[in-house]
Amino acid sequence: MKVIALSRKEAQDILTNKIYLLVVFVQVFIILGAFGLAVVTSIATDPALLDSYGITSNLKVGVDSQINKSSMADYLQEQKFTIIYYNTTEEATKYLGKGLVAVVGSSPQGDITVLLDNSNVFYPVASQKINDAIGKYKQAKKLESAGLNQSTIDIIQKPVVLSETDINQDKKAQIALDSSYFVELMYGFIVPFILLLPFFMASNIVTDSIVGERERKTFEVLLMAPLTSSMVILGKTIPILSFSMLQSLAWILLLDFLKVPIFNPLILFLILLFVGLGFIGVGIIISMLVDSTKEANSAITLALVFATFILFVPLFINAPYFETIFNFIPTVLMVKISSTPIVENELLLYALPTILISAIIFFLSVRYFRHERAIRL
Amino acid sequence: MRFSIITKWELKETLKSKKFLTIFFLQISVLFLMIFIFNTFAANIESEKGISITPSLSGFASLDVDDQGYLFSKYINPDIIEVKNYSYNYSIERIKTGQTTGFVLVPEDSIDKIRNIGTINIQLYLDVSDPKRSVIKDEVTSTTKLMGDTISSSWVDSLAPQNVTQTINQQNTGESLPLQIITKAMIAILLFLPLFLFGNMMIDSVVGEKERKTGEILMAMPLSTTEIIMGKSMAVVGIIAIQVALWMTILLSTGFEIINPLIVYLLVFITAIPVIGITVVIAAYSKNYKEAGIGLTFGYVASVGILMIPALVYLSNKSISSNISPLTMVIRILSGENIPIWQFLIPIGFVAVMSAITYWISIKLYQRDDVVFGPRPGLIRLSLELIGLKKRRT
Repeated sequence: MKVIALSRKEAQDILTNKIYLLVVFVQVFIILGAFGLAVVTSIATDPALLDSYGITSNLKVGVDSQINKSSMADYLQEQKFTIIYYNTTEEATKYLGKGLVAVVGSSPQGDITVLLDNSNVFYPVASQKINDAIGKYKQAKKLESAGLNQSTIDIIQKPVVLSETDINQDKKAQIALDSSYFVELMYGFIVPFILLLPFFMASNIVTDSIVGERERKTFEVLLMAPLTSSMVILGKTIPILSFSMLQSLAWILLLDFLKVPIFNPLILFLILLFVGLGFIGVGIIISMLVDSTKEANSAITLALVFATFILFVPLFINAPYFETIFNFIPTVLMVKISSTPIVENELLLYALPTILISAIIFFLSVRYFRHERAIRL
Repeated sequence: MRFSIITKWELKETLKSKKFLTIFFLQISVLFLMIFIFNTFAANIESEKGISITPSLSGFASLDVDDQGYLFSKYINPDIIEVKNYSYNYSIERIKTGQTTGFVLVPEDSIDKIRNIGTINIQLYLDVSDPKRSVIKDEVTSTTKLMGDTISSSWVDSLAPQNVTQTINQQNTGESLPLQIITKAMIAILLFLPLFLFGNMMIDSVVGEKERKTGEILMAMPLSTTEIIMGKSMAVVGIIAIQVALWMTILLSTGFEIINPLIVYLLVFITAIPVIGITVVIAAYSKNYKEAGIGLTFGYVASVGILMIPALVYLSNKSISSNISPLTMVIRILSGENIPIWQFLIPIGFVAVMSAITYWISIKLYQRDDVVFGPRPGLIRLSLELIGLKKRRT
């Protein structure tokens, strides 16, 4: 009951602290911003999405009168570019980078010249599409010169046909953008980042709570109460952990609303619970080592920088030698669990080191927390 | 010049602090880490593979394949997709039970089709309940294209071995946007970064006096508010000047090219003055460290925006007005542009105006007992009082 009373007081402190509430509010903007950025970059780099949103048709390619008469213009149109006709290549070149993403012209010797504006935001897609058009044009020219008929040329130009059959249609996952880039970016980085944000804040709250009490000289009163060290730690941990878990739950619901479905939330919560305990444990240990809020903030920032490095860098490193170790990193696990509808039991075994390490950190923080240390006696 | 007494005192105290020195050298280690990351990015951009910011997760999605002739499987990129060879019936069952996201069936007669110039029909079975379906679909589509291109080329070579005389020349103009950002903007951003690393020192210097209740003693000294504010600010600006010089030296010695380093240094240095000015305004108004920390976060986000947005605008459309940001000017210098002298006046003028405004506000705030010792007026009332639209309560 004593622990509950302390927890209630801590929870009240958190919920009445305008700064914590402001940070929660800021997280909403971070989530919406990250989601928006992922959507925009996915559309900008995916030729199929650019086509479907009609952006390709806004990309203008200048061609001269010779190209206009050749099949090259048809192949460019097939790529959904808007073709602007000019009398000469020189005339078209004047507008390269000023409205035109590329110029396709011909030299007096009959060769084709392609000029591309590298600085255009859509350059990668434009370049890919123009290369496809050139490839087809060159191939067709070669086959025509060999005297082949159009039906054979068509087969040669498209020797493989891909058909798709959808399975589990009744359980179709509604995703904001059916793009490979979007899915990799959202599940591969943004989802674990968003779900861990509240726990970064948790380690800050716990140092604020312990060091703050010491600075306000209210810690002595708390420690004189008939509570053991473990009870004080529990009383402070429960509301902070619950506050963070509730935030993570809210972010899962927000992501679901944004059509980024998060699978296996219960397993995710189990991992988050232990990661959270680890973060809080680090916060408590730091609180025991420092003298003021200012020192605590510097130390916690440093600890969080290292945590970010350990948790997020493996997501961007392709190192086959470390693959087995990376599989144990909680963020890597979160990526796999949150994006897979049915998780294999084997994957859960990879969570054991996270659970063990976090439990050890928390246990150490409880052992290290002593009344005498807390009030510097 | 009596503010120099405070500056000297603050500098002496700061440089004596072991904690400060630890943080100072930790920042330098952060620079080395960034140099490593930038070099990796630049190397990736210049390589044929280009840059990718997507996470590189091995085995992110799984795909089953029935491909007896190994025609399709050999083209799959194994970085993200985990490929397993299984039969049709087993794979369909695996998809239905969520053990794999897709299955590709390559017809057994594919090799005969290649020999006889016939179309190969590849079938993709996709679990649409899995959001990773688009990753599989994208990989299968690009693999199919690669396979098709290879088959086409072999057919073309056998059917039309003669060379077509027409050649295609491709030229690229302009530097790619990611390369521009990495090679020019990123070095400039690195040089401006130390400006935002010492805000806590300023907060400590001003808010710390309020919390430690030593502000009253300082106010009672024979120094004007202007001298106190300028003295404290110049100490931090001095520390920033040392850090920027160190960072520039490190960047130059690690092979980064900085054209006109002295002008670049001066531009970064003068920008530190209004940045610290903003910090003093926040510190002068804040009651405690926590409040100052939050205010500083928002203040610095806005400052970074003011520096960055014109620079990004400049990269895309080279407008003159984007020179308002000293960061734009540094990017232009680093790009080796010939900049007319009068254009330097735009960022210098902006920095001077911003400095005058921020220091004026902070001095006015520090002169008010209600702001320093409380009870503090609200932000709106205070703003109206500062610009003279409302009379101060007595």
